[in-house]
Amino acid sequence: MPTITITLDDLNQLSGADFTLNELKEHLPMIGSCWESEVGNEFVLELFPNRPDMLSLEGLARAFSSFMNIKTGLRKYIAKDSKFEINVDPKVKKIRPYIVSCVVKNVEFNDRLIRSIMQLQEKLHMTHCRKRRKCAIGVYDLDQIKFPLKYTTKSKNTKFIPLDENKEFTFENTLKKTQKGKDYAGILENLKEYPCLIDSKNKILSLIPILNSNNTKITENTQNILIEATATDEKTALQALNIIATSFADHYSDLYKVKINYGNKKITTPNLEVSKIKVKLEYINKLLGMNFSKEEIKILLNKMGLGISKKSIANELEVLIPCYRTDIMHSMDVVEDIAIAYRYNNFESEPPEIATIGEENPLEVFTRNVRHLMIGQGLQEVVTFILSNKEKLFKKLNSNEEKLAEIENPKTREYCVVRNKLLPSLLEVLSNNTHNEYPQNIFEIGDIIELDSKEETMSKTVRKLAVCLSHKDTNFSEIKGILESLFLNLGLSKYSIKQLERTHYIPGRSAKLEINGKVIGEFGEIHPQVLNNWNIEMPVSSLEINFSELFKILNKD
Amino acid sequence: MSEAPLKAIEVLEHLEKLGGIAFVKQIEEKGLAHSAIMRSILFLEENNHIKKYESKKDLFILTKRGKEAVKDGLPERNLIRGFNGKNKMSFSELKIKNVGVALAQAKKLNLISIGSNKTFELTKSGKNLINNKSAEEIALKNIENGKIRKDVLKNLLERGLIENKVQKTIKISILPAGKELLKKGIIKTITSLDSKLIRSRDWKKVKFRAYNVKDPVKIPIIGKKHVISDAIEYVRNIWLEMGFKEMTGPMLDTNFWVFDALYQPQDHPARDMQDTLFMKIPSKGRLPSKELVNAVKNAHETGGDTQSTGWGYKWNLEFAKKCILRTHTTSLSARTLAQLRKDVKENNLPAKYFSVGRTFRNETLDWKHLIEFHQTDGIVVGESVNFRQFLFYLRRYFQKLGFQKVRFRPAYFPYTEMSTEIEVFHPVHKKWLELGGAGMFRPEVVKPLLGKDIPVLAWGPGFERILMVQYELNDIRKLYNNDLKESRERVLWGAKCLR
Repeated sequence: MPTITITLDDLNQLSGADFTLNELKEHLPMIGSCWESEVGNEFVLELFPNRPDMLSLEGLARAFSSFMNIKTGLRKYIAKDSKFEINVDPKVKKIRPYIVSCVVKNVEFNDRLIRSIMQLQEKLHMTHCRKRRKCAIGVYDLDQIKFPLKYTTKSKNTKFIPLDENKEFTFENTLKKTQKGKDYAGILENLKEYPCLIDSKNKILSLIPILNSNNTKITENTQNILIEATATDEKTALQALNIIATSFADHYSDLYKVKINYGNKKITTPNLEVSKIKVKLEYINKLLGMNFSKEEIKILLNKMGLGISKKSIANELEVLIPCYRTDIMHSMDVVEDIAIAYRYNNFESEPPEIATIGEENPLEVFTRNVRHLMIGQGLQEVVTFILSNKEKLFKKLNSNEEKLAEIENPKTREYCVVRNKLLPSLLEVLSNNTHNEYPQNIFEIGDIIELDSKEETMSKTVRKLAVCLSHKDTNFSEIKGILESLFLNLGLSKYSIKQLERTHYIPGRSAKLEINGKVIGEFGEIHPQVLNNWNIEMPVSSLEINFSELFKILNKD
Repeated sequence: MSEAPLKAIEVLEHLEKLGGIAFVKQIEEKGLAHSAIMRSILFLEENNHIKKYESKKDLFILTKRGKEAVKDGLPERNLIRGFNGKNKMSFSELKIKNVGVALAQAKKLNLISIGSNKTFELTKSGKNLINNKSAEEIALKNIENGKIRKDVLKNLLERGLIENKVQKTIKISILPAGKELLKKGIIKTITSLDSKLIRSRDWKKVKFRAYNVKDPVKIPIIGKKHVISDAIEYVRNIWLEMGFKEMTGPMLDTNFWVFDALYQPQDHPARDMQDTLFMKIPSKGRLPSKELVNAVKNAHETGGDTQSTGWGYKWNLEFAKKCILRTHTTSLSARTLAQLRKDVKENNLPAKYFSVGRTFRNETLDWKHLIEFHQTDGIVVGESVNFRQFLFYLRRYFQKLGFQKVRFRPAYFPYTEMSTEIEVFHPVHKKWLELGGAGMFRPEVVKPLLGKDIPVLAWGPGFERILMVQYELNDIRKLYNNDLKESRERVLWGAKCLR
């Protein structure tokens, strides 16, 4: 999740307040953020994806000053009419169809504001704009631009001087040779022509969504700017534009509208209108378990920068939402804002008057009972990872590969399949414990995954029980004794034990377990070759039973 | 050692009967082995039950040769017998055993004189011996009690007929403590109880040897629960006590149940955030009923009938089928809500469910990240449930885990409102710890699954983090490394959690 870096002085100046760092540390998380760290007067805050408006110093100061009762209530922003116009070439329709824009005049740029805007732009790109794929924002020195502008596409050989470069690059080389080009080239993959913004003098303003041209670069001397956002989704672009435009407006700059001409359709941006949502008072109180009055709700909403329209009737509030808030989709979002304003920790717990009967899943009850029985046999329980690899599951067991659940994008080869048996997990435990005292008698009741096309998920989670006994005297009789003791305690007498040959057991010293003609488990003495494979130097006898199946059989009887 | 005290009481009893003072020999006559008596005396003396007196005297006893001499006669006596009443004999006439030794001895004692032509004649002393015994012969007969002349004694010793032995005589007398011991009727002290003692009721008469209770012992290797199971059992109990029913479901699930049903947009950073493990085999699963799938799709795209604006994008059906390893057990909550659809119709609500299960993240395993871990999910579904009750359940849950101070910080999850991050105050470390997310499910989640917009409280805290803190582990992998030494020595979760 995105983090922003802010200094105490900047936040205080914009909030019109005099907070200490400790106060910020205490209260900022309560508006919905996470305090990461601080160095001197500078602190790092993690923000959540639902509030991109707080990704700038200005937006955060705005939200926080309301929350702390310094300047509460709905804030209105106005963009003045103008003659600025951007024409959209139909060629962009299939690539990145939307552009929105706003002009900001009388900007008092200083180092702090430039940093804040650059940080905001970057963080919006990473989150709200989905790494520029969905939306990308450009900011230009207005005085270097001649209107009307054109949003179009141009060939890969088109030349311009990219931001912070001192020579011309073709579009193609910009993608190959600049850092931003390399980072985002993927978005333009397989395109014949690249989207760009040009002015009426045919000057390239930017290669979209990669880099602006160097000659429209913002400096401390810049006074007027143009902001544009191109996108695959218009709403996303409008939201991003509002968030940036309002940040400038908080510095008393003037906003001007820009006409977007799609040929068949014309729109004007930004849209800084307040939006409205109706919320019933009863709904709020029911969800929160409170008894707030309309007036109390109004105060709480104001602390979150929201308002109530005069059209609100007794039981139904018409809540006014400022143009920079992008997260309010449902009246429940308003309820959350009210709860945050009241502060979560101020709510008293209410013991619910719900009488329900607790109930465990029977397989879990069975698991617990058998776990306790195995511990009674003196075995140490282990809990191991379900993810594994073919080397452990097959090669080290001297056995052939079987089809099993495999991961498409594992970060490490060590964990790239889902195990289909427990034995290798237990052998691994023994292998890691050769320096410890023997006997090492261990068991696990754990889950594995079996492929099964009859199931909705083409697989099923199966529980298994495995035991490994490792000490100098262990043998077939001992492990068989463990099995028979288990069955005795489960009241299971109808089972048969038959000779079994498997590559991971010593020949003639392994058996399978059948119930009603179905094989549900096997046991025996582990083959010394397998022990060598795992660097275990003590005999091991093992047992593995399909625990889910055993449970089913017992429930049928 | 175990034998001595047993016999010691018997020795004491005999001593008492012999008048309180007796020689060892007298006790031996009662049928006890000399060695057993001596061990008992050692024990009794150490415990001040008796007093021991020792005296020594020289004793002469017959050697093997001496014993033969008593039986067959001394060599010189044999020689005299060989003279057969005559005074003079030639060598060839002497028909006796060991004639050489006999002649040499007789000559030495001056019993014969040697004449010419190897003839031997008895001297006066020799003749005298015919009808009388020699001093040696008398001494040999009376060696054990008689007083013997020094020169004869010396002679016998030199001839190897007798030997000198120092005799130790031990006399013991009973002391008051010994009398007391007999009075008590305790007949012996033993180390271990056995079946014979129990059966015979003789245990009433014995004294058990006291141990040094500070002696070190070997700690046995025992069977024991793994710390994770231990904690899971504990956590399951908390929910059961509060009346929650258990829900279960697959670890390998579809995108649909893990994300889409929870109103997580398919391109949302929240999905990147969780670093999902996608499956190559099986690649895709089947989706539930068309009705349900469409309701979810509509919620995403336009809000459908949930009175939400929706996310406003085109929802991809195929992507929803993709198989993954669940990144949270909240998928089970989604599945449960869908199953509760009929309960809503039949008015069987409210309902409370919990789960504890394994979840997966595509992380690189290191000291603070696990690829697999556990999460406990809970939902409470009912018309009357609210945020304050939500806080009640969570505060109670964490209090039962031993955290008295719980606080809630606003957070963000695409599927909840009043999204909160639960933090508990660690009383030892004096800091707040993030333990997981919770909130009330959004209508965009509830309505499509349940068929009706009913408040649902939901949470999904993990607990490896809690274990890590409680056990002060600096490496989270230690929970799964199954080092048997560590497992054997690890304090029970139940004991840890109450501190």
